[in-house]
Amino acid sequence: MNGAAQNVAHLPITTELTQPAKRPARHLFRLWRPVKGTTAALLGCLGFAAFLMVWQLGHYQTPAESQRFLPSPWQVITALNVLITEKGYLGDVAISIVRIFISFFAACAVSIPLALLMGCFAPVRAFLNPLISAARYLPAASFIPLLLVWFGPTDTQKLALLFLGVIFFLVALILDNVESVQKELIEAALTMGAKRRQIVGGVVFRAASPAIMDSMRNMIAVGWSYLVIAEIVAAQDGIGAVMMRAGRFLKVDIIMAGILTIGILGVLTDILFRLASYYVFPWNRKRSG
Amino acid sequence: MSAMARASSSALARSERTEVPVIETAGVTKQYNAGKFTAVDDISLVFPKGQVTAFVGPSGCGKTTMLRMIAGLEDPTSGMISAYGAAVTGPGPDRGMIFQAYTSFPWLTARQNVEYGMKLLGVPESERRERALKLLDEVHLRDFTNSYPSELSGGMKQRVAIARTLAQNPGVLLMDEPFGALDAQVRWEMQEMMIGIFEQEQKTVIAVTHDIQEAIYLADRIVFFTRNPGRIKKDIPLDFKKGKRFARKEDMLLLPGYVETERQLFAWMREEIKKQ
Repeated sequence: MNGAAQNVAHLPITTELTQPAKRPARHLFRLWRPVKGTTAALLGCLGFAAFLMVWQLGHYQTPAESQRFLPSPWQVITALNVLITEKGYLGDVAISIVRIFISFFAACAVSIPLALLMGCFAPVRAFLNPLISAARYLPAASFIPLLLVWFGPTDTQKLALLFLGVIFFLVALILDNVESVQKELIEAALTMGAKRRQIVGGVVFRAASPAIMDSMRNMIAVGWSYLVIAEIVAAQDGIGAVMMRAGRFLKVDIIMAGILTIGILGVLTDILFRLASYYVFPWNRKRSG
Repeated sequence: MSAMARASSSALARSERTEVPVIETAGVTKQYNAGKFTAVDDISLVFPKGQVTAFVGPSGCGKTTMLRMIAGLEDPTSGMISAYGAAVTGPGPDRGMIFQAYTSFPWLTARQNVEYGMKLLGVPESERRERALKLLDEVHLRDFTNSYPSELSGGMKQRVAIARTLAQNPGVLLMDEPFGALDAQVRWEMQEMMIGIFEQEQKTVIAVTHDIQEAIYLADRIVFFTRNPGRIKKDIPLDFKKGKRFARKEDMLLLPGYVETERQLFAWMREEIKKQ
């Protein structure tokens, strides 16, 4: 202590700083520091730009005779434009959207009550959980031959495949949401004299519903990923069918346009679910600031 | 606020209390792991109407288990619990419970939360609304009737839960570390608020707490638990308060006997900790 005090005594006493104070460098890669909204948006755009650049470069580096196997981003956009304006592509897109939504909401209509009952009643859970857990390991695509035999090359077959693709995971996720409901909320309702039905529907479901909505949002993304599988086999319409036809004629630009479409639709679905969640659960909005 | 002012050290309220047992436990035992662990061992207690009892003791002494069994949320392994002369077989609105965790329903506004319990009891809507607003006023949430719990602080969420419990007008209030998650300042504000509510509503109260000063301030009687197995070490009336309840916590501190009581409880707590 003494030594330190003596050292200080040697220092010149100034009322002003001799040089402007240097802030420690604020570099981007500090641990656990959030980035500003604008910075995040900029970085996101940069990511896209980098991807497009690599793609474009790849296109240029490809020998001219095989460039049609790796069309440039612009060629894909053009192909998309031609599809929409000349080939009635929007009709296919609409059919695919309808397939996704019908099969997905059918899956939700089954899995939400099922998972709710499994989460609330241990015997139901014990009865169904081993079966459903096992079913998750069955690849949806392996059902295609079976569904073709049962339903033929119909819409029902495609809807059934999309349904089977998400239902088991949906049950598992929603069961988890139901079981994560704070135990004290249920006990509080019990001490107030709530009956079983009032607790299952009025407390557990209400409390779990924002999380269930998130699970649905995540699983519909998986639904989109099954779309092409569902529409590859014996389909005349839909985005997947368009892509398969293009594949037969080695039209890579159209295949890529299809991939792009599914990507865009996926993002839009995600936004749709987020918006729905925001407006359906005003009580669950994160307070800003 | 007026309710709290009225409540200030009125000895009268105490003398009116009759000694009718509201809750009775007889030889209550709770074991876990097929009898390997005894959380609560042969506890017999009587809780007269209007008395505020604090369960105090070291962690793991079974005081919360005891409270949960009285609430009907857990069943005793053996022994009997009765409320108003009838055996307790499950939870019910005659025994309102306030939890340490925030249990105000996040999807309901403060007012809707308070109305929830009344709705279960079939109270008509206009009466529900009127009583909810009155209770929210009583817990100082008049300006937050239409706020969701996510917009409220921890203390405010807890006050919503308290108002919701009171709305059912239960004869018994069971509190499991109700202010344990709150910071010190909010904690004593809530304690003073509860004193006003105890006085006004003539509740029979059982409160579990770790906080020795809170126990002395709120309770008329302290049941001190010992650990492994959970038994009663001491069951003492807080006679030094002469039946008074204090609207301001600091008014209790200079009372003869206060310091001795607090020291005694600390000494018991230390004994229990040493045993572990």
